[in-house]
Amino acid sequence: MDRRTFVKRSLGASIAFGTFMKAGSLFGALGGAELPYDLVAVKGGEADSMFDQGIGALGGMKSFVRKGDKVVVKPNIGWDVSPERGGNTNPKLVARIIRHCLEAGAKEVNIVDHPCDEWQRCYTHSGIEKAVKDAGGKMVPGGSPSYYNKVSVNNGKALKSTEEHEVILESDVFINVPVLKCHSGSKLTAGLKNMMGNVWDREYWHRTDLHQCIADFATYRKPTLNVLDAYYVMKQNGPRGVSVNDVVTMKAQLISTDIVALDAAGAKLYGIQPDDVRHIRIAAEMKIGREDLENLRIKRITV
Amino acid sequence: MTKSRWKTTRKIRVAVSLSFLVLTTAIFLDPWHLMPPQFVKYLTSLQIVPVLLKSVMTGGAVATGGLIFVAVMTLLFGRVYCSTICPIGTLQDIIGKLSRKINRRKRFKYYKSPQWLQYSILVFGAAAVLFSGSMIIGDLLDPFSNYGRLTSGFALPVILFANNVLAAFLGHFGIYLLYDIPVHIHEIGMLFFAFLFLAVVAYLSVTEGRLFCNSFCPAGGILSLMSRISAVRLVIRDDACNDCGACDRVCKAECIDSEARRIDFSACVSCFDCLRACPTNAVEYAARFGGGVRTQPAEFDQGRREFFKNVGVPAAALLVAPGVVESGIVVSSSRQPISPPGSTSVGRFTSLCTACHLCVTSCPTNVLKPSFLEYGLAGMSQPMMKYEYGFCNYDCTVCGDICPTGAIMKTHTAAKKLIQIGNARLNKDECIVVAKKKDCSACSEHCPTKAVHTVPYEGTLLLPEVDDSLCIGCGACENACPVLPKKAIIVNPKPVHGTAKKPAVAKPKTGEGIKEFPF
Repeated sequence: MDRRTFVKRSLGASIAFGTFMKAGSLFGALGGAELPYDLVAVKGGEADSMFDQGIGALGGMKSFVRKGDKVVVKPNIGWDVSPERGGNTNPKLVARIIRHCLEAGAKEVNIVDHPCDEWQRCYTHSGIEKAVKDAGGKMVPGGSPSYYNKVSVNNGKALKSTEEHEVILESDVFINVPVLKCHSGSKLTAGLKNMMGNVWDREYWHRTDLHQCIADFATYRKPTLNVLDAYYVMKQNGPRGVSVNDVVTMKAQLISTDIVALDAAGAKLYGIQPDDVRHIRIAAEMKIGREDLENLRIKRITV
Repeated sequence: MTKSRWKTTRKIRVAVSLSFLVLTTAIFLDPWHLMPPQFVKYLTSLQIVPVLLKSVMTGGAVATGGLIFVAVMTLLFGRVYCSTICPIGTLQDIIGKLSRKINRRKRFKYYKSPQWLQYSILVFGAAAVLFSGSMIIGDLLDPFSNYGRLTSGFALPVILFANNVLAAFLGHFGIYLLYDIPVHIHEIGMLFFAFLFLAVVAYLSVTEGRLFCNSFCPAGGILSLMSRISAVRLVIRDDACNDCGACDRVCKAECIDSEARRIDFSACVSCFDCLRACPTNAVEYAARFGGGVRTQPAEFDQGRREFFKNVGVPAAALLVAPGVVESGIVVSSSRQPISPPGSTSVGRFTSLCTACHLCVTSCPTNVLKPSFLEYGLAGMSQPMMKYEYGFCNYDCTVCGDICPTGAIMKTHTAAKKLIQIGNARLNKDECIVVAKKKDCSACSEHCPTKAVHTVPYEGTLLLPEVDDSLCIGCGACENACPVLPKKAIIVNPKPVHGTAKKPAVAKPKTGEGIKEFPF
């Protein structure tokens, strides 16, 4: 059995098992215990201290990570730019999430992305590589097709199959950590759009129907937890940005197990209506999550 | 005088040559980019053809220092370069040595080296650069550049394959110290010519020793001229010589006329094999100020004369011909090639690049790839931007930092970000947004200057648009465009590079901090 077959077979089993396990728990919280809030919104602090308080409101990281779990954290590390440019997720937030996972007993915490710019320069210049190392996590390379394995998206309308990074496929817990910014193609990038970095062939999405594919992929795997970094928010020239002048210091953060609710609240935070972003609207219509924020239990925290 | 002294000298020469070979190989076989650019720069600053080009045509302290070092070394000690620093010299010695392990009866024999050919090549090469802007001689014959092409073309894929097998194995255990690197095989035609060079040089080193160095090699030609007035040289002492001919038989440069007790020092590559071979210590490496010993005209070996009639003259003609007709021949391709930022113009680039491919192996995004005939016959193998493999990283200046010939000039990051090597052109009819009425904008997403931005189009759709004044031609848009088989956005080359406008960005008016959550 070669490595690929091995990975695929063991994956098939674990996905089947995972689906079975998840069926019992709404929004992926462990042991069937319902979370006290659907969405936690924090403002006014640093990226790391806001997360401390936000995750505390959901009962701490132990609500999501069991002892011995393999965790994957997926920040946005798409661009070869420094942290204050707001093109990538805040390294301080990534580091703090890793610490919480390790404290909750995670066996290992892997960090991965499929960057748009040259992957090593993105890992280094985003400040994420160093922050991850210091926090005890592991950077996993994502810049070559050999790391991605084919998966089928059974409920997808435009996206029937794609290739996902092996380290994500092998994980018990998947934490999606997007950064909030504008996007010249998809209008806004937050939780749903960030998941595009899990896969290799993005051209297919672009070529076929970008918004529909983004929503379709969310039917394939719902993250265990989503943390939206809105500390530095890029308001123009996104998603890469050309200068620090593209960015405002918003000092906010959203945490939710519902990726659609996260994006809906993110859109409002950014200053547009959720339905203006087609993939958020489609995802809500496909019942991947809820965008009716007025009916959700929201915890608002000011640090 | 004891024999051991010369033995040590020769051993040092062998050790130095192997060290240089290993280091020179290492700078080309570094897909992990571990070598500091500064080290690469210093190491390559001793390669005579690149460094001569760089110090004369663009300047630079390190290059000039390297040139002076090699020149002084040669004026003092002869063509030591050919037996230490030159990778092709050492490669020939290794091939020759292995072949003589098989054919133990191989003996060298003096003949007058065809330096007329070598000097003609030099003159022609210089004229080609100065008058027709063609680097044909350096491109085809520079030993360092040929060595670079061979290592990057043939050895690098093997290294990458080994790396990828090991990376996959370690990755299976969750260890990501090594990572998978996609392997790209160079253009087959380019590889054929690199291999042809190796085949010719290997054949010559087996049958004729260092004949390449004394007939075709431009580096050998330059140093040969200098070594005619070297201070310390190899000579045969009349009083000690017993005419045994041992020196003659081991001389791979075939420059020792043992019958006349003369050494043609301009053809000598200072390998010191003769010093070791001489049983009476009659061969001496000693100071001979004032021109040293004149070489006497010797009988031109009839066989060799035939060889050069049959091989040398046609080969020389082959070299000359493309240079003369060069400007007329440009093999048709979908578009003219784009030269890397820092090369100023395609013309300047092709006149200075010796196609060593160090930029190709150093480029972190793999966008620099060897051409085959895109620059014309005389520019064969010179690197070009190939956007199907990657795009030029906005903040990266590596190729300019390491280019040994100065064909790609060093630029500061801020200046490099404005160098316009081409302009993106959007073919709207092929664009997903127009053709399929779906959002895409992969091009605009990747654009580092937002020259490619989006504007509202039918309904809520966003359509890409190009601002020429901001576009630098990096190819991010073309690389990212998902349209098949022909991309909807393509970079048109600027044969003479321009300067883009610096993106001016005003701070957004709203969003700084938030008072209340808007939900």
